[in-house]
Amino acid sequence: MAERATDRLLRMLGMITYLDRHAGVPVEQLAEQFGVTTRQVVEDIDTLWVTGTPGYWPHDLIDFDAASYDEGVVRLVESRGMTRPLRLGTREAVALIAALRAMRSVLAAGLDRGRTAVLASVLEKLTAATGEAAAAVDVRLAVEGAPEVVAALGEATTGARRLRIRYVTAADVTSVREVDPIRLLTEDEHAYLLAWCHRAHDERLFRVDRILAAEVLDEPATSHPVTTHATTFAPAPDDELVTLELASRARWIAEQVPVESVEDLPDGDFRVSLRVADPAWLRHLLLQVGADVRAVTPADVARDAAGAARSALAAYDDAGR
Amino acid sequence: MSDQIQPAERLLNLVIALVNTAGRMTKEQIRSTVAGYSDATSDDAFERMFERDKDALRDLGIPILTVAGGGHSDDVGYRVDQEAYALPPVELTAAELGVLSLAVQFWQDKSLRTDATRALTKLRGLANAPAGTDLVAGLAPRVRAAGDAFGPLLDAVQARQAVMFTYRAASTGDVRDRTVEPWRLLARGGGWYVVGRDRDRDAPRSFRLSRIQGRVRTVGDLGSYEIPADLDAAAVVGDRHREPVRVATLALRPERASALRSRAVPADDTAPSDAAALSDVDLGDPRHARALVDRDVVRVPFTGTADLADEIAGYADAVVVLEPSDLRDAVLRRLRAAAALDAEPTARSDRG
Repeated sequence: MAERATDRLLRMLGMITYLDRHAGVPVEQLAEQFGVTTRQVVEDIDTLWVTGTPGYWPHDLIDFDAASYDEGVVRLVESRGMTRPLRLGTREAVALIAALRAMRSVLAAGLDRGRTAVLASVLEKLTAATGEAAAAVDVRLAVEGAPEVVAALGEATTGARRLRIRYVTAADVTSVREVDPIRLLTEDEHAYLLAWCHRAHDERLFRVDRILAAEVLDEPATSHPVTTHATTFAPAPDDELVTLELASRARWIAEQVPVESVEDLPDGDFRVSLRVADPAWLRHLLLQVGADVRAVTPADVARDAAGAARSALAAYDDAGR
Repeated sequence: MSDQIQPAERLLNLVIALVNTAGRMTKEQIRSTVAGYSDATSDDAFERMFERDKDALRDLGIPILTVAGGGHSDDVGYRVDQEAYALPPVELTAAELGVLSLAVQFWQDKSLRTDATRALTKLRGLANAPAGTDLVAGLAPRVRAAGDAFGPLLDAVQARQAVMFTYRAASTGDVRDRTVEPWRLLARGGGWYVVGRDRDRDAPRSFRLSRIQGRVRTVGDLGSYEIPADLDAAAVVGDRHREPVRVATLALRPERASALRSRAVPADDTAPSDAAALSDVDLGDPRHARALVDRDVVRVPFTGTADLADEIAGYADAVVVLEPSDLRDAVLRRLRAAAALDAEPTARSDRG
């Protein structure tokens, strides 16, 4: 994939800034610094070497120490006044600062004081350097789960330690498992722990607000490669296909549940098809939004939810309500 | 120079030339002296090349000024605004740079990722890359994709320029055009919203980005309104977390609804005993007697009545609400509607 010329330009300008502040940098280190291959670094330096101010006589050009470069060390000799870092554009500043603000508000619980301080200081420096434009975007991430659970997950994830958790599934089944944390995913709607589950011998995604208790164990977490992009719930293609016709008020279902298709109907109604891995999850959903459901296919799905609702109503009748 | 000069090299030469020029450079000077522009085979080709490059550099945040010449109207020149070019002095540590790398991963949208990545590239020259493991390894906060409307709306907020878009109201299903003065963009609880003044209603409104259909168009002049200084955007979206905290009293089947149990609180600390704390529910009432057989009574604090009613209805007969009555009624409404899901279609349409 060809890199965009503008991205390469920014990197080359960044390299001049970096090389101005560091006398003599090995090509390998420069590659790591800018997240590219050593071959790309050599191409960038070769390009920088022939650019400069019009005329392009030797004294007009950006220049490096040739003897040093032969030994694989880049030493800037002439910068043609390009050493100052480029100002951040408004959208660039917004993208970084809004992310940092949201991160600070949720990560504080899972981080030690030193790391929290780093987050706070970089936010302060960037805000000072870019002004208040970033106030245009305000992201609040999910803060959920018991504080002691969140703290244990943070400690185990950053410290690479095994966890014992008590977990309740969407189908209301509780179990105790030992897991090796891989990543703590905090999103705007929910937070999840992606972990290797020693009971399932596989990666599992655990919703943090359903982790009832978490204990950091003495054993280190063994490292497991993240095999899937299992960072969101994705139903399998052979799960049961269910079609729902819903009133407009239930539009959030089309927006927040991974659906196969959405079709708008007259009067603002709409039809969604979704793959259902867990019948208990679908029953839960239908019990919530029954008033907005116009039709359900297959019919036994509707019968199952209606039956569960009647049992619940009977429990209230018993209570004399 | 027989070889074609690559675009990145030509752009770099243009930036260096415009930063270093004593006064200004005209297009003709640029064409004849800046390396790469002599590759243009015609006047038109040069114009297109130069305009495209100028836009690309401005898009990167490089402030290219247009400077009028002394005489002719076509004698326009260009230079880089030295004051506006550089980032104000800032020093970053390697650890701070590591946090910024994580911030880039925060965004799921391609355009926001691109913006954040560019910002990071600009800042990379300021500190050493963190060695070894990331400072916050394993922690991956992120926000869902905001969609195509985000970019134009953010630009409009910055420019104080009104926008028009087609919007589907979820409450009514009504689809029509809205004209809005956008104030702020918010992500809350699984959705992106724009908050602003709805010109047709002359009132603050919030719009969910996923319900905007088609393109967002700007209307009217830049800087045509002020953003209220005391803006409480979250209140306009209708933050459900603003309801006061109350306590629900629930009767649970044994071993069930563990997620609710985990949020339970002990009886009020100030009360002498459980029974007294539950005084708002008369457990001795014979009407409760059968409901409470083999059930555990727990107290769960909550703020959003609708959210908790959704959750409880989902548990079906595993949870019975004893108090408060508005929560119990909300759950009963959901259960009655769900109980009619397998009714004959004719009977269901009668419900109206």
